Amino acid sequence: MEMLQKDMEMMADTAHPEIPAEFFALAGEKIVIETTDLDFYYSAESHALKKVNIRIPYRKVTAFIGPSGCGKSTLLRCFNRMNDLIPGSFLKGKVLIEGEDIYKNGIRLEELRKKVGMVFQKSNPFPMSVWENVAFGPRVNGITNKSELEEMVESSLKQADLWKEIKDRLQASALDLSGGQQQRLCIARTLANKPDIILMDEPASALDPISTGKIEETINELKEEYTIVIVTHNMQQAGRISDYTAFMMLGEMVEFDTTKKIFTNPKEKMTEDYITGRFG
Amino acid sequence: MLQKETKPKHYQKVIRADRWARRLITFGGYGIIVSIAAILLFLAYQSLPLAKNAAIETLFTFPASRGPAKALVVGIDPYQEIFYILDESGYIQFYKVAGTEPVSQAQLPLSGNEKILCAAKGSLASDLFAAGTDSGRIITAEVRFQLDYSGEGRVVIPSLSVKEVWQIPAGGDTLPNHVEKLAFSRNEDGSRFYAWVDHQGALWVRSYDADEEVDYLHPLSQYPGESSVTALTISNHGENLVVAAADGVMRWFGLKDFEKVALRDEWSISNSPVTALSYLLGDQAVAIGTGAGAVEVWFPVRTPSNLMKFRQIHSFRSHSAAVAHIYHSARNRDFLTIDGEGAAQLHYSTTGKTEVQFPRPDFPIAAGAFAPKSDGLLFVDAQKRFTLFRLDNPHPESTVKSLFGKVWYEGYPGPEFVWQSTGGSDEFESKLSLIPLIFGTLKGTLYALLFSIPIALLAAIYVSQFAPFRLSRIVKPTVEIMAALPSVVIGFLAGLYFSTLFEEYLMSTFVLLIFLPLFFLAGVAAWRAVPESYRMKIRPGFEVLFIIPVILIALQASLSLGHPVENFLFGGNFQQWLYTTWGVTYETRNSFVVGFALGFAVIPIIFTVSEDALSNVPKSLTSASLALGASRWQTVRRVVIPAASGGIFAAIMLGLGRAVGETMIVLMATGNTPIIDLNPFNGFRAMSACIAVEIPEAPVGGTLYRVLFLTALLLFIFTFVLNTLSSLIGERLRKKYARF
Repeated sequence: MEMLQKDMEMMADTAHPEIPAEFFALAGEKIVIETTDLDFYYSAESHALKKVNIRIPYRKVTAFIGPSGCGKSTLLRCFNRMNDLIPGSFLKGKVLIEGEDIYKNGIRLEELRKKVGMVFQKSNPFPMSVWENVAFGPRVNGITNKSELEEMVESSLKQADLWKEIKDRLQASALDLSGGQQQRLCIARTLANKPDIILMDEPASALDPISTGKIEETINELKEEYTIVIVTHNMQQAGRISDYTAFMMLGEMVEFDTTKKIFTNPKEKMTEDYITGRFG
Repeated sequence: MLQKETKPKHYQKVIRADRWARRLITFGGYGIIVSIAAILLFLAYQSLPLAKNAAIETLFTFPASRGPAKALVVGIDPYQEIFYILDESGYIQFYKVAGTEPVSQAQLPLSGNEKILCAAKGSLASDLFAAGTDSGRIITAEVRFQLDYSGEGRVVIPSLSVKEVWQIPAGGDTLPNHVEKLAFSRNEDGSRFYAWVDHQGALWVRSYDADEEVDYLHPLSQYPGESSVTALTISNHGENLVVAAADGVMRWFGLKDFEKVALRDEWSISNSPVTALSYLLGDQAVAIGTGAGAVEVWFPVRTPSNLMKFRQIHSFRSHSAAVAHIYHSARNRDFLTIDGEGAAQLHYSTTGKTEVQFPRPDFPIAAGAFAPKSDGLLFVDAQKRFTLFRLDNPHPESTVKSLFGKVWYEGYPGPEFVWQSTGGSDEFESKLSLIPLIFGTLKGTLYALLFSIPIALLAAIYVSQFAPFRLSRIVKPTVEIMAALPSVVIGFLAGLYFSTLFEEYLMSTFVLLIFLPLFFLAGVAAWRAVPESYRMKIRPGFEVLFIIPVILIALQASLSLGHPVENFLFGGNFQQWLYTTWGVTYETRNSFVVGFALGFAVIPIIFTVSEDALSNVPKSLTSASLALGASRWQTVRRVVIPAASGGIFAAIMLGLGRAVGETMIVLMATGNTPIIDLNPFNGFRAMSACIAVEIPEAPVGGTLYRVLFLTALLLFIFTFVLNTLSSLIGERLRKKYARF
C-alpha cells in the first residue's frame, strides 16, 4: 500500500494536469475536480471504479448518467470522501480538487466537506426546526453570531427557493415539510456552508414531477455561483439541466462530453444504446 | 376462488391454524395484563389490613347476681371462657361466659369486717394481684386457670391461691392501719415490689428479693411532703415507680437496687392533679390521666447532660370527667382509660391515636381488664354488670404516620424514622418506618446510577459511533453477557472480596479518580502533538489502543501514591481522619461498593438499550451531518444523541428500575443497616433486601408480614411508575426527534 501511494505521489508530481484528448470539449473551461486513474474498491473483491479519469468544469452542471450500479454515485462520493465511512473500502489513484489531492495526509475532512457540499438522494433533514437545520453547517463550522446565522439562513433559503414558502415556519419541525420542501431544505442547508462545489446524488428521484421541476429550477439558478455535479437516472433531467454529461458503465467512464453532444451524437455505441433506451 | 376449490383442505388448515394462533396470542397478552393486575391487587389486599382501625364488638353483657359490693379487680382467662371479679369484701367469684351464675367462688383470708380498700394486678403473664385492706394488711394472691382435657373438650378450671399475707408497719398512732393506695409488680425472677400509701398519707416501698428471700422496706414519707399521693404505678419488671402528688408534682423512683430507692426525676404537671397512672408495656412510658380528663403519655428522654428526664410525648382525646382507671395491654402499647362517669377509651401509645370510644354504659365502670391476648376487654360497672367486648385490633402500631412519618419511640431522643422490626424481648416494640428503606433504595440507586450511567452511555456512544466494526462486534455481546451474570455472584464478590479490596486501596481509588482524567487528558494532548502524518496512519477507531497504556500508567501511579497521599493528607489513616474530622464512620460494605456492584448489574442494560438506540439513528442523518463538515464528535453530539434521546432515556429508566428492584447485590454488599444518611461510606437497607432479610422474622398475618407486603407493593408501584414514565417520555422524545 505504502509503496503504491509513494509511487503515485511521484507520478502526480511529474504528470502535469493537461487536458487529455477525451476532454477536448472542456477546452477553455477552468477545471475544478480532476481524477487520475481512480480505482475504488468496496472490498478487495468488489471493484467499483476502474481507472476513472474525469475533469469537472468550474460553475457548470455536470451530470453522471449510467445504469444502476455503474459507479456514478460512488464516484460522486469520492469527491467529498463520504466513501471513507464504508468499512473495508479503499481507493487508488488521485482526486484533485482545485489542484489539491484530497486523499493525501493532512487533509481536514471537515474543511473538505464544507467546501464540497452534498445533497442526498433521499431528503434527510435533521429532526430539528427548519432554522436549526439550515444553521447546522455554519454552527458546526464555528459561527455563533446570531445575526450572522440569521442572515445565512435567510439567504440560503432564498437561494433554494424556499424562503417564500416557509419564512413564517422557521421554528416548525423540518419533518413537517413536504417531500419537495424537505429536499430543497437540504439544498439550502448545503448552501449555508457556502460551498464551492455541490454534489447531488439523484436529488429528485424520490419526488413528484412538480417538486422535481422546482429542484431543477433551483439547480439552474445555482449554477451561476456553484460547480454542480449531479448523478441522475433521469435522462431527460440530465438533458434539461446539465452542461456536461459523463456516461458510466460497470465502473468505467465510457464517454464524457457536452450534454448536447452526448444526447445527439455520442461517440460510443454503448452511450447511444443507453440514451435511446435500448438498455438501462 | 379457483385455488380454494382445488385445495380446500389445505386452506381450511391454514385458517384454523391462524385462528388458533390468534387466540393463543390474545390469551397470552391478556394473561400477562391480568396476572400483573392480580399481583398488584394481591399485594394491596395483603397490606390493606394495616390501615384498618380498631373495631369492637359487644360479645355479651349481663348483670351479676351477687351483692352490691364494689368490684376491685376483674380478669379473664386466655380462652375467654371464665372471668372473675374480686370485690371489696374479699370474695372472688368466677363466672362462665354465657352464664349468669357464678360457677365457683373463693375468698381471701380476711378477718371479721376487714374490707379491701385497693387492689392492683402485678404481672403481665398471670393473674397475680395484691390487695390492701383497711386493717393494714397486703394480701398477695393469684388466680389460676387450669385446663382440663379429660372430659369432652376443654374445660377451664379456675382456682385461687393466696401467696402471702403481710402486715404493713404501724403508722405510729392508734388509728387502724389502712392501705389507701397500692401499686404492685412481680418480675420474672419472682421478686415482688409493693408501693403503698398508708392512712397517714405516707408513701412506702417494699421490695422482696426472691433469691435471698429478704424484705427491704423503704419509708418514703418525705416525698409527697405536705401534699398527698393521688396515684402511683410500678413498672412491669419492678424497676421503676412513678408517684403523682396532689400538688401536681410527679416523682420517678428507681427500685433496681433492693436496698435503696433512688429518686431519679421530679417534675410538675401544672394543670390538674393526676388521678390515674399506669406504666405501659416496655416499662418506659407512663400513661397519665388527670382530674380534668386529659390523657397523656410520658417517658424519660436523655438530656444533653446525659440525664433521663420525663417528657410529655403524646396527648390523647380527653375524657369529660376525671380519669379513674388506666389499664394496659400485655401484648402491645394499647391502654384503656376509664373516667368517673363510665366513659372508656382505648389508646395506642406510640401512635398517639385514640382508637376506640366505647359506648357509654348506664352506670360508672368500677373495673376493667384486657384479656391476656389483648383480643378482648372486660368491664364491670358499679351495678356489677359485666360487659365483654371482642377487640379486633391486629395492627395498632401501623398508621400512615408511623409507616411514613417520624415517630417518637420510647428511649429515643426525639421523633425519628426508624426501622427495627424485631428485638430481644416480647415487650419490644416494632419500629416500622418505611422511610429508611425507601431512602436506602434511592441511595443505592443513586450511587449505582452515578457510577453506571456515564460508563454505560460513553461505552454505548463509543461502540455505536466510533469503534471499528471488528471491535464493536466483540464488545457488544461481551457486555450483554455481563447482564446474564447472576446478581448473587456479583453481590458475593462485592461483599466478600471487593469491599475489603476497596478498603485496602481506598486512597489509591480516590487518587485514581483524579489521576485517570488527568492522565487521559495528558494522553490526548500527547496524541495531538504527534505529527498528523503519523496519526493518519491509524485506522479510525483504533486510537483507543493508545489510551490503554496511559490508563495502566495512571493505575500504577495511583497504587504507588495511595499510601503517601494518605500519610500526607490524612495523617496515615483515612478512616480515622474521617471519623475524627467529620464524625463519619467507615463501613467496609458501604455505598461505594454497592454503587460499583450494582452498577455492574445496571451497565449492561443501559449500554445495550442505548447502544441500540444510537445505532438505529439512520445513517442518512449522520451522513448529512458529516457532509456538512461536522466532525464525528459534533455529529454524535448534535445529531445522533438528540435523535436517540428517547432510547437513551428509556435505557436509563430501565437501569433505574433494575437498580430499584435489585435484591441480592444490595443484600450482600451492604451492611443492611436501615439508616438515613447520604454519606457514601455508610451502608443502607434497600426495600428489596429488607423483604428478603425479614421474611423469616415475619409470622403470617402479623404486622411485619403485612408491612413487608406493603414494601413489596411500594417496590412494584415504584418500578411500574418508572417503566410507565420511561415509556411515555421515551415515546414523546421519539416523536420529537426520531421520525425518520
